[in-house]
Amino acid sequence: MAYLELHNIEKSFGNAVVVDNFELLVEEGEFVSFLGPSGCGKTTTLRMIAGFETPTSGTVHIEGQEVTGIPPNQRNVGMVFQSYALFPNMTVGKNVGFGLKVRRHARREIDSRVKEMLELIKMTDLEHRYPYQLSGGQQQRVALARALALRPKVLLLDEPLSALDAKIRVSLRAEIRSIQQKLGITAIYVTHDQEEALSLSDRVVVMNAGRIEQVGTPFEIYNFPQTSFVANFVGTLNAVKAEVIDPDKKLIGIDGIQLETADSLDGRVKGDKIIIAIRPERLNFVSVERKANVLDCTIENITFLGSVVRIQVKIGDAKFNMDTFNNPFLELPKIGDKDQVTCSKEAVLVLRD
Amino acid sequence: MKRFRFWSWFWLAIGAIYFFLPLAATAEFSMRAQKGALSLLAYQRVLDDSQFVSSFLFSLRMALLTITFGILLIVPTAYWVHLRLPRFRPLVELITLLPFVIPVIVLVFGMIRVYSSPPFLMTTTPATTDILLVAGYMVISLPYLYRSVDVGLRAMDVRSLTEAAQSLGAGWGTILFRIILPNLRTAALTGSLLTLAIVIGELTLAQYLARPAFGPYMALLGQNRAYEPAALAIMSFALTWAAMGVVYWLTRGEQAQIGGGH
Repeated sequence: MAYLELHNIEKSFGNAVVVDNFELLVEEGEFVSFLGPSGCGKTTTLRMIAGFETPTSGTVHIEGQEVTGIPPNQRNVGMVFQSYALFPNMTVGKNVGFGLKVRRHARREIDSRVKEMLELIKMTDLEHRYPYQLSGGQQQRVALARALALRPKVLLLDEPLSALDAKIRVSLRAEIRSIQQKLGITAIYVTHDQEEALSLSDRVVVMNAGRIEQVGTPFEIYNFPQTSFVANFVGTLNAVKAEVIDPDKKLIGIDGIQLETADSLDGRVKGDKIIIAIRPERLNFVSVERKANVLDCTIENITFLGSVVRIQVKIGDAKFNMDTFNNPFLELPKIGDKDQVTCSKEAVLVLRD
Repeated sequence: MKRFRFWSWFWLAIGAIYFFLPLAATAEFSMRAQKGALSLLAYQRVLDDSQFVSSFLFSLRMALLTITFGILLIVPTAYWVHLRLPRFRPLVELITLLPFVIPVIVLVFGMIRVYSSPPFLMTTTPATTDILLVAGYMVISLPYLYRSVDVGLRAMDVRSLTEAAQSLGAGWGTILFRIILPNLRTAALTGSLLTLAIVIGELTLAQYLARPAFGPYMALLGQNRAYEPAALAIMSFALTWAAMGVVYWLTRGEQAQIGGGH
């Protein structure tokens, strides 16, 4: 039995189905991210766990107990909002202690828990400040402390870093992960930022149009996307049309150029049209002699991206991006040069629709 | 630049003259009670009149009751409309504007007609008539109080604050009285001040319900005396400004809290 269970969740607003057949089991202490574009149903799913929305059908279980019909103020689920949602009329200390006060904890216990939480977010000296006297990053840390003060069963974070600038976003996400691991709390994190999801999570749930596309570790999601949507949404990708040449030998062709894949071609026959994908960093110039997946190419464009240089090559009529680390001591090819690129057969992914 | 500055001052002066000249004239006139000299005789006569104090205190009491019940009615209503029924907002706004369209005389005759005979007989005792009076005041102050509260609610993220409080275990009462209302302090005080000003000067409702309010007292004084009504006008103007000063003092720094900062 998992710690948090979502069974066959469906949510409709009028005729519009925003979450459909959502099935997920989350273990205790796990950090799971819902990743997807705007309107894919990730926030609605989170709100159903919090109790702010009621599923049209399906059930939510926390610690073995069904909570589907229980109001949000009785679920003991902590929530952090994109807009911080700190109470403007209360100081930092009062905000953090609010939940404990509502639940009539003893004053001494409230004071000690507030102190403990402020130490956790390293803001003990700002206890008497009002929210308007804090920066965005500080406000969000207070919101996190406030949600954690009640020792909730599940911590829900709804795009908590979206309103912050890039630098604070990176440092705060590391802080969130570190606090989550320290407390061993089960966390569900909603984001449309793939970097956030991949860097924070034990598992990522990629969603599209109300459905789960793929559930897996960040490594699995990035390296072995199972659908075109996941492959395109997570990371940069070269997705091109190809044709099955020999399903038994796992050979495919792009404009007559032969490639070998490690993916299964079961159920396909010669001549079937498929879509294959290769990550830019899996392509390399041929430096040693190789027998398979050596592709003649022409350099089309070179873009400097800082630590990475993105080189666009043309293979047949298809264009591929290739990423190499920036090395100032190596000479880059020139636009129009003829060269050869290669990749392992494992890098050639055959995508489902 | 210089030309621009001249016209700015010009229009400001015109505005000031338009506003202050009648006030200065009234003030000057109110001090002419003693022949051939400027004095505060009219003010002294007004303050010496026991009816002035009693009618003012009566209206103040009615105003406080109107404000209390008005806030208790309007804050939860406006909050619920913002949170759960945003599509009904235009309808509620229309309802709150009705007192501008329906004259007070119509309202008071309607009230007298309904509540002066069984089964809702309420005009027979002062206490029950005062209930009617407060209810009437609530209706005529509705556009001002609702608008103030509505503006206050628009300035805060009602939904997120409510959900944050809910996720921390708060029920509706706690959310309303410890989160929403304290953050509506400025808006509620502004609405209360407007309500106070309306109730203190209101004539028709109190007159037709035969209650000893400040409005009918002022009207009566205006019919029988010359200088005292002018003195009363200046005094009520000063009282209103004093009340505004109190509101400003009570809510200093609060706007920044609600607005937030980064």
